[in-house]
Amino acid sequence: MSDVLELEDLEDLECELEAADAKAGRTARRRTAIHDIEPGAAWNDVEHAILTRRSIRKFKGRQVPAHMIRRILEMGRFAPSQGNCQPWSFVVVRDKAMIAEMEQYCVAVCKNMTASVDYTNYPPGSEQRAAIMENTQKLNRASPNSFHPVPMTAIKSIANGRFAVFHKAPTVILILVEERGVGVPEVDIGVTGTNIVLAAQSLGLGTCWVGFSRLLSSNAALLEKLGVAPPFEIAEAICVGYPIGNPTQQTVSRQTHQIVWWEGGEKQILY
Amino acid sequence: MNDAIVKKAVVDADHLPIWDDPREAIYRKVTIDLDKCDGCKLCVVVCPANILELFGPKDNLKARLKTDFTGCMSCNNCYAVCAGQGIFATEPYDFAGYYEQKRISEFAFPRNF
Repeated sequence: MSDVLELEDLEDLECELEAADAKAGRTARRRTAIHDIEPGAAWNDVEHAILTRRSIRKFKGRQVPAHMIRRILEMGRFAPSQGNCQPWSFVVVRDKAMIAEMEQYCVAVCKNMTASVDYTNYPPGSEQRAAIMENTQKLNRASPNSFHPVPMTAIKSIANGRFAVFHKAPTVILILVEERGVGVPEVDIGVTGTNIVLAAQSLGLGTCWVGFSRLLSSNAALLEKLGVAPPFEIAEAICVGYPIGNPTQQTVSRQTHQIVWWEGGEKQILY
Repeated sequence: MNDAIVKKAVVDADHLPIWDDPREAIYRKVTIDLDKCDGCKLCVVVCPANILELFGPKDNLKARLKTDFTGCMSCNNCYAVCAGQGIFATEPYDFAGYYEQKRISEFAFPRNF
């Protein structure tokens, strides 16, 4: 007798799990039989949360109850990670003065950056523009993602006070990455953050990822206050609060992306 | 729907984009249906790129794009908050001075497969 489980044995195991669910009064939502979901079936709760999630950048002033934040962080704790290394740690900032201090520092950094890289402050043909553009192009070659036009536009807006880095959110969650994690720990940060964001969405909270939070890494005093020390560093931040308006009333349209579909010896291109 | 949108970069591969040149950093315009706009200002408030404004008489305000706008990411946050579904983005930004758009096609609402 083989000690490798055959597919039939596994199907028997699933039946037992369903019985366990029934005993505990749980709904075995994900243990559907293969044909339970008909083509074109309505979105389930998880799919609905995914589709109605928006990045929220305008929040009501009301603070989110602490237990709600603990609740969504708990979802982050159960995210998959490479080698189950769980390379994350969280810093929750719910203190207005502290968020203001973080904001102020990021704005100062953005102001410095626009002065040295934003040639659009000067008219075409001017000497200053040419000088700054040369510097910017060097930086662009070294770091094409960071000097992409979208973040550069955001940096300009932040420097001009038209855009708040932490969106004046009542709660900011900093996600720290354990640099010694397995494989590419930054990917795991994205996964745990997605769990947090979707859990928040399902509870009626609004969230927004803030990559500019990494700017805080150059402020030793702030890092100490926030308890960020090697081998941890700031990877991302998620702002949490109650959204203004009703951004979840409808899903939006988005561009479609290529799918290469290999099946039955044939390759198809789908969108 | 099944064909990729094929666009060529307008410049050489080693060129770097000029952020304020509309040929190289192309921001799409959101479409606003003024009949459906009730001037509630939510889209103006939520737009991350801050490119919308209200105009018109006080009792009949409508949303519009600012004349000099950059930064629309086609995120459709404006559409999501619009109760009248009167504003929407249907094309992604295109940094033709930076790289070619590859392996993308038209916008689509969530599809029930």
